[in-house]
Amino acid sequence: MGAKITPRYWLLITILCAFPRYLYAADDWGDDAWGEEEKQGTAIHGFIETAVGDRVSDDTLVDDALSLAEVRARLEAETYQGALRLSGKVDLYADGVERGFDIYLREAVAEFSLTDNVDVRAGHQVLTWGTGDLLFLNDLFAKDWVSFFSGRDDEYLKAPSSSIKVSAYGETANIDFVWTPVFNSDNFISGERFSYFSPQTGTQVAAPRGEIVPDEPSETFSHGEFSARIYGRSHLLGRSSTEWALYGYRGFWKQPNGINSNNQAYFSPLTSLGASLRTNVASGIGHTELAWYNSVDDDGSNPLIPNSQIRFLMGYEQELVPKLTLGVQYYFEHILDYDALSAHDGGSIYRPDEHRELWTMRLSYRALQDNLTFNWFSFYSPTDQDYYHRPSVKYRFNDQVNLTLGGNVFGGKQKQTFFGQFEDASNLYARLRWSY
Amino acid sequence: MSKFIGIKSLLIVMAVSALNTVYATELTDANAIVSKANLVAYYAGNDGRSEARMLITDAQGREQKRQFTILRRDREEGGEQDFLVVFSRPSDVRNTVFLVAKKPGGDDDRWLYLPGLDLVKRISAGDKRTSFVGSHYFYEDVSGRSITEDSHQLLETSDKYYVIENKPLDPNSAEFSRYIAWINKASFLPEKIEYQDENDKVYRRVEVLASEVIQGHETVTKSQVSDLRSGGITTLAFRFQHYDLGMDQAVFSERSLRKPPREWLQRDE
Repeated sequence: MGAKITPRYWLLITILCAFPRYLYAADDWGDDAWGEEEKQGTAIHGFIETAVGDRVSDDTLVDDALSLAEVRARLEAETYQGALRLSGKVDLYADGVERGFDIYLREAVAEFSLTDNVDVRAGHQVLTWGTGDLLFLNDLFAKDWVSFFSGRDDEYLKAPSSSIKVSAYGETANIDFVWTPVFNSDNFISGERFSYFSPQTGTQVAAPRGEIVPDEPSETFSHGEFSARIYGRSHLLGRSSTEWALYGYRGFWKQPNGINSNNQAYFSPLTSLGASLRTNVASGIGHTELAWYNSVDDDGSNPLIPNSQIRFLMGYEQELVPKLTLGVQYYFEHILDYDALSAHDGGSIYRPDEHRELWTMRLSYRALQDNLTFNWFSFYSPTDQDYYHRPSVKYRFNDQVNLTLGGNVFGGKQKQTFFGQFEDASNLYARLRWSY
Repeated sequence: MSKFIGIKSLLIVMAVSALNTVYATELTDANAIVSKANLVAYYAGNDGRSEARMLITDAQGREQKRQFTILRRDREEGGEQDFLVVFSRPSDVRNTVFLVAKKPGGDDDRWLYLPGLDLVKRISAGDKRTSFVGSHYFYEDVSGRSITEDSHQLLETSDKYYVIENKPLDPNSAEFSRYIAWINKASFLPEKIEYQDENDKVYRRVEVLASEVIQGHETVTKSQVSDLRSGGITTLAFRFQHYDLGMDQAVFSERSLRKPPREWLQRDE
């Protein structure tokens, strides 16, 4: 559908876009501006970004060597109509990997207060809650794993959904209720940009033959997603305020990990309940979160739909020396009714382990007046014996221009594990962004 | 109406401070001076709002800018207080919100809201003496360092200033070995602070460049911090300051991180 872009043409666009922007001088502060122009009317902002990512080694199943090749223009507009806030964010981008031009709606929301204590946020929006750092238990809002794996900005990990969020605020507790009328799945690894391991065929597969085209839930009221959070702060530990939260979700698994009678992938129903705590511990921040994923497979005997699970997370983050911060998290997924699963899956050698453990580490360091930031995030699973490293360096030339270099490095002992299957997706990337 | 009250209170303050300079006895207790200066610098009114602009200049003359609005509310005079900082410029930090529950003598609670991810991130209390949004100011310069963390000694009383030496009670808690504060005898505003390293060399200076009386409170309208090691300078200008707006405690909550309280952020016409 989109116009074809050859890599050479793409390179030209990159250079044309990037260079004049880089030379663009910082606008003058002036003594009288003080944001007067934003008091009335609409604030317009955005960025132009060019990004390129290359695989560390070839993936023989995927044609493109490049894992990321795009020029992206973001336009953001925000305005107030009385107490009503309207905000829109849209990306126009030329994609050299998927060969075409595309529009991506990031945000289109209306925000207002229903009463003194009730806010409504309606429209296309990014939603986040929970305590994990790049680990999500009770946050069942859509994620974009393709963007995350390919080296787009972190913000793209959280995919927008068309939802209505109603928030009520009380003295001791607050409630968020989110209704997403049409189920919004993750942007999962479907075999298009990155190949994946198929337990059905026992091999690594990719598009077009291996592309996952799941059966979507029909668009009825009962197939919408309902998410709720009750949360507050209290002084459980000394003078520090402890944030507590209870979560509930009714919808579907966000990845198509069920197989229907037509041998097609689909999103099986999921309800979940959970809780979290976060507070100051010693001189750092501690958090813990629990979730119970209740799948429709009541007794766990159907190998074609996921069993129920318990997910648990605890983590701690502390500044080691000035500007150097270390965060460590421990996480596990425990499959319930595992005996029933193993008795009914025909002795599959690709059956997931009953207990999957994961450690994560984040090291971040800021230098040169915060203009240079180093970040190293690693996932390591001792049970799956696989890993995913995400190093990155960002340099802020000025308020307008920044450059990010980074990598996504996957590996593991076995080809079927969570991160191990993406070994050939390992890539290095660079992004140059000009903000306005 | 409010202008009239402003002028009236201004006149009263001028009269009172004139009396002070004539009749007030000089203070000799360093702790009393520091307590009073702390109240003047960080606790004016029960609450307050101010718009702020930073110009960050590095040793090579490269400039960066930050613009934000600060809301503050005191839970107790000289004690716990809350701050909400909402950024409007540059565009990559626009709508980022910073919330602090300051607890002198304990660990502050701090949160950062990143609008791109809709993420409320809690930040540890440890790094109060690191750069505030890339400027030469520290987080602690903005919200105030607890006076109980240092010992205070009156070095000198000049015509205009009380000169106070401050040493951290826990030498490992700060990067300085001591700092000297020049506190205006009439207004009790700390007008200059110089930080010294273990060799008594001054490596950092915070100065008030301009101040005015707003609703009876001596208020800094322009200040500057100089990093004498790197040669970098940040100037900070404040405008549209108001006190005693009657803000509710609920303004300083997670609700305001996601939906900044426009009622208090908007300029009063």
